[in-house]
Amino acid sequence: MSLSSLLLAGRGTDMTSYFSLLYLGAFLPLCLLIYSIFPRRGKKYFLLAASYTFFWLISGKLVVYLALSTLSIHYFGIWLDRIQKERDIAVKAAEKENRKELKRTYQKQQRLVLLFAAILHIGVLLTLKYSPFFTTNINTLLAHLHIPIHLAVPRFLMPIGISFFTLQAVSYIFDVYRGTIRADSNLFRLALFMGFFPQIVEGPICRYGETAEALWNVKTIQFTNLKLGLQRILYGLMKKIVVADRLNPFIQEVFSNYAKYEGGILAIAAVFYTIQLYMDFSGTMDAVIGTAEIFGVKLPENFRQPFFSRSISEFWKRWHITLGAWFKDYIFYPVTMSKPMKTMTSAARKKIGNHFGPLLAGAVALFCVWICNGLWHGSAWSYIFFGMYHFVLILSGNILDPAAKWIHKKLHIQPERPLYRFFQMVRTTLLVIIGELFFRAEGLRAGLSMFQKILTDFRFTTLNGDLLSKLRMDQFDLFIVGITLLLVLTVSILKEQGIRIREGLSKKNTAFRWAVLYAWILFIVIFGAYGPGYIPVDPIYANF
Amino acid sequence: MERLLAILEDIQPGVNYAECETLIDGHYLDSLSIISLVAELEEEFDITIPAVEIVPENFNSAKALWNMIQRLQEEG
Repeated sequence: MSLSSLLLAGRGTDMTSYFSLLYLGAFLPLCLLIYSIFPRRGKKYFLLAASYTFFWLISGKLVVYLALSTLSIHYFGIWLDRIQKERDIAVKAAEKENRKELKRTYQKQQRLVLLFAAILHIGVLLTLKYSPFFTTNINTLLAHLHIPIHLAVPRFLMPIGISFFTLQAVSYIFDVYRGTIRADSNLFRLALFMGFFPQIVEGPICRYGETAEALWNVKTIQFTNLKLGLQRILYGLMKKIVVADRLNPFIQEVFSNYAKYEGGILAIAAVFYTIQLYMDFSGTMDAVIGTAEIFGVKLPENFRQPFFSRSISEFWKRWHITLGAWFKDYIFYPVTMSKPMKTMTSAARKKIGNHFGPLLAGAVALFCVWICNGLWHGSAWSYIFFGMYHFVLILSGNILDPAAKWIHKKLHIQPERPLYRFFQMVRTTLLVIIGELFFRAEGLRAGLSMFQKILTDFRFTTLNGDLLSKLRMDQFDLFIVGITLLLVLTVSILKEQGIRIREGLSKKNTAFRWAVLYAWILFIVIFGAYGPGYIPVDPIYANF
Repeated sequence: MERLLAILEDIQPGVNYAECETLIDGHYLDSLSIISLVAELEEEFDITIPAVEIVPENFNSAKALWNMIQRLQEEG
């Protein structure tokens, strides 16, 4: 699609990827150039205009969803603020013994507003994203029960990024309700927080208290920020086009025609997909966080070396961190801290002890978190299965914890020894790969069939040069992927040890720095998987 | 403070609660212990601990916990 038609019609998918030529080669440089020459006071307004232009370019008229979502959440915030101000005045004027009751009355009013706002925003998301799934399943159920009713399956056009900006909107109104932030009276500041263009497609899911002020106070681009930001974008670009895109033909072919392949090849495809997903999503986050860094804004990290996790529970604290934190703060704790759950915890703890007592409330809350997590990724049974798979793994980890400690003691296993830690990391990675197999499979039935084949037909007999070339891969591809993964692993180990690589590099002499930079760019240009024969993987998380 | 230390000792024994300042960051209290702790504190001190108070700053030491309890008691 040409730039002129894009500008006229909007809704061009060419720019959904932050690594597309149109975005990296035209939109971002142009945006940085205009931003630099814009007067200092107007920079934030330019950033807001650029964000809406970007969203218009990728979503067309669906940009109205973002605008309405922002307007509505702004209004709800003001409404809550008004109640809170009234409450403060009334409480101050009241006798001490009446204050508790007064606070409760205002709390009830606030809760109603919060509920109304959350239902409205999540309701829109549910309708657009899930109503076809739910009506299809209701129709299937009705047919099974021989009830002659058939509901029309609705189809809606859904704006890209709606799952991300809806969660930001809900977190904003929740935080105003809780009093951790004050409602923003400035609609433009809130709009920039909701729609900042580098993060609108795939997150990270930011909190108002973390980024809104920094975005509103953007200043002149500093050379250090520009340099560090571009380096981070380059690192993400390498992950995406050297690894994720290079593995794409193999993954597409095997997952689409899984019945043709034996278990060993399906297992390789599952491993490749896990690598691809990590390289694509974390690479995109590098580009997003790097771009924000250029503007001097620090966005929250979404990944922290997830494959060094020793348990599934730890994995989810290191993978898509902002989504996990959102679920923890707005689902897990509100559920476990609700009155019925607290009463249940107190009673259960006295009867079944310290470990299993709180587990009941924890299990209910975990179930809510993981059903939402599965559904958030998409409206299909395979995603629900993916959520339930992780729910079962985390819950069993908690239930079996005392038994594991007992076994360690009996067998004299020291869990902190490097070899045992390594064993735990490998075990966690294997469990993650199985989960991702179901996540990527084309439907739950396909996932189950693939998994069964891996268990019962684990062979590599057909894996040879002919098959690889059919899958549009050769030894060279594998070599390049291997080298790049080794590089990413080295960087991950250094980061895990707290070594800041980009800052370290900037302290080296100029010749060394430029040599590294040129070698790196050349590596990406030469070994990037683009051009005929390669179909770049669509930004995976943009569809969620 | 003595009552608080006794509750902590009952929920997760073997930690020097009087001095430890990394109860959350040092993984001495996990999310299940926190669920128990909140339920017990509410019952013992007649307070309501909203989810928003569950942040490491309030749970990292017995002293921080005690400050939170007193604050919530005062706020009523």
